[in-house]
Amino acid sequence: MATAQAFHYRMPRRVAGQRPGSHRGSSLGAGQEFVSHANLYDRPDPRRLDLRASVRSLSREWLVRVSRQRAGVTVQAVVDVSASMAFGAHTPKLQVAADFVEALAFSTFRAGDALGMVAFDATERADLFVPAMLNRGMGEVMSRLIRQCRTAPGSVAGLEQAVARLAPRSGLVFLMSDFHWSLDRLGPVVDALAHNFVVPMIIWDQAEIEPPAQDAIAALDDSESGTSRTLWIRPLLRARWRDNVANRKRELDRFFAARSMRPFYVTGAFGADAMSEYFFEVNA
Amino acid sequence: MGALLDFTQPWMLMALPLALLPLLPNRRDTLQFSHLAWLPADRAGHMLSTAWRACALLAIASVVLALAGPGRSQTQVMRTGTGAEILVLIDRSRSMDERMLTSDWQTLDPLVVRYQAQSRGQPKGKAARDLLSKFVDERPHDRFGLMCFSANPIHVAPITRRTEFIQAGITAGGVGRGLTNTDVGWALNSAIQAFDQRAYSGSRIILLVSDGGAKLATDVRRQLREGLLRNRITLNWIYLRSVNGADFNAISEQSETLPEIALHRFFQSLQTPYTAYQAMSPQDLADAVTDIGNQQHFPIDFIEQIPRRDYSRYFLATAAFFCAMLLAYRAFRLREWS
Repeated sequence: MATAQAFHYRMPRRVAGQRPGSHRGSSLGAGQEFVSHANLYDRPDPRRLDLRASVRSLSREWLVRVSRQRAGVTVQAVVDVSASMAFGAHTPKLQVAADFVEALAFSTFRAGDALGMVAFDATERADLFVPAMLNRGMGEVMSRLIRQCRTAPGSVAGLEQAVARLAPRSGLVFLMSDFHWSLDRLGPVVDALAHNFVVPMIIWDQAEIEPPAQDAIAALDDSESGTSRTLWIRPLLRARWRDNVANRKRELDRFFAARSMRPFYVTGAFGADAMSEYFFEVNA
Repeated sequence: MGALLDFTQPWMLMALPLALLPLLPNRRDTLQFSHLAWLPADRAGHMLSTAWRACALLAIASVVLALAGPGRSQTQVMRTGTGAEILVLIDRSRSMDERMLTSDWQTLDPLVVRYQAQSRGQPKGKAARDLLSKFVDERPHDRFGLMCFSANPIHVAPITRRTEFIQAGITAGGVGRGLTNTDVGWALNSAIQAFDQRAYSGSRIILLVSDGGAKLATDVRRQLREGLLRNRITLNWIYLRSVNGADFNAISEQSETLPEIALHRFFQSLQTPYTAYQAMSPQDLADAVTDIGNQQHFPIDFIEQIPRRDYSRYFLATAAFFCAMLLAYRAFRLREWS
């Protein structure tokens, strides 16, 4: 097994929580980030006595430095394991998701965040549920769960159930799916995750977004609905295929932009650098 | 014409529902795709898919129908023509391989005639066959039958309108050498019997082409007389005379004992019409044939059997065509995602 590629991520906003971690927190405690001075009798921690400030103070009292501590968050991987995710010309999209989960587990452990996983197809998949925990070995377990799971036709209803489990908490949510569904019902689901920082990961296969190069007759079966369609792949159709993909991409961009999210597109394979860059840009 | 379709193996038609297999939605040759809805609708592709289904359906149906052995059943057609039913009875004995005199024999020295005949003339059998073949050609409305005989009669072709069949029979008569014996009585009897089961639809002629006769036994004579009368048959004898054979034109006291003359006398004694043509050279033979040709021109009605026609190869050809279309489709199919 190839070593997981770690990526760097930081929450773009302050996180609540007492557990020390690497994100900027909102709670006071042991940290480098100065907030204010406080009376020694209010915060009896003589280790943080600030003599210079105490001498300068007009009220002639002992002042201690108060700072914010960095906190850890709970990271949740929400994975779509519907049948369409099993599609892929060379590697199934689920494999891409599994690779990412492995990288994510590696990165979260380094950052000191707990990682959990929720999977869904038409309903929430209880067999693939992993509660959030700080455990170095969990990444491998999760990715194996994903790699070996059996797929079934999926729907937004499954996502609704999965999100219901996460919604009250706050944290970082990676929502992995190919988003091959109507966006009408997706709005409320994403809105329910408002307490979290959501990274919509749109996983597409190269064969989905780029039509085959040679002219041919393609008899296709939908992996979820079972309907079939025959396409005569020719330049005209190829242009319309690319148009459809571009339109869908625009639609998704607009949908997530309205919720101040930026979708992260994965095509073919997951790139850790691209993910790091995504977070740098979000935090900039 | 009753163009009724029948099947030699109708139980094969039970496999006909197999033709519906291509209409089943599940196919093995399709590629999986994650989400068809975002692919463009393609009318041409839809039509290709429909055409594929139709081709597959028709291919299976044609194969099943071909296996069931379709065909038009045997029918009978009443035809009306002019002419006669002519049964040609050719002597196939070895003497027929001898050569005839050339047409200019009368100018030759009688001493060399025999020698000339052996060296220059045409074999009798061949001359007769050539002329008969021409005769058959010139009389498209007649129906012919063909029978050879030597020791016993050989049925070559029943009485039929298929002249190409007769022609082939006449040609085939030239293969190999002649046979040894000759039994005219039996041959004639069986020629007469060829007419036995036929409805009388026009004048009937037996054309005996022979170079020899026979003395017939009394009961054979009786049989022949009765048979010819019963079937109302005209007998024509083209007698291919050898150089030193009996001559019908010079019958003398002594020649009465010759078998040819005896046969000739017997034929003359028949109640049915009889004509003898004595041919010594191909020219005489041609004259005889022309004369016979001028005799008979009466309209006749006859029933023709049209044999069963098998259509299964048309169905197989159709199946092969549709299979070729399917192969072409297969060749253009997308096998895997690149």
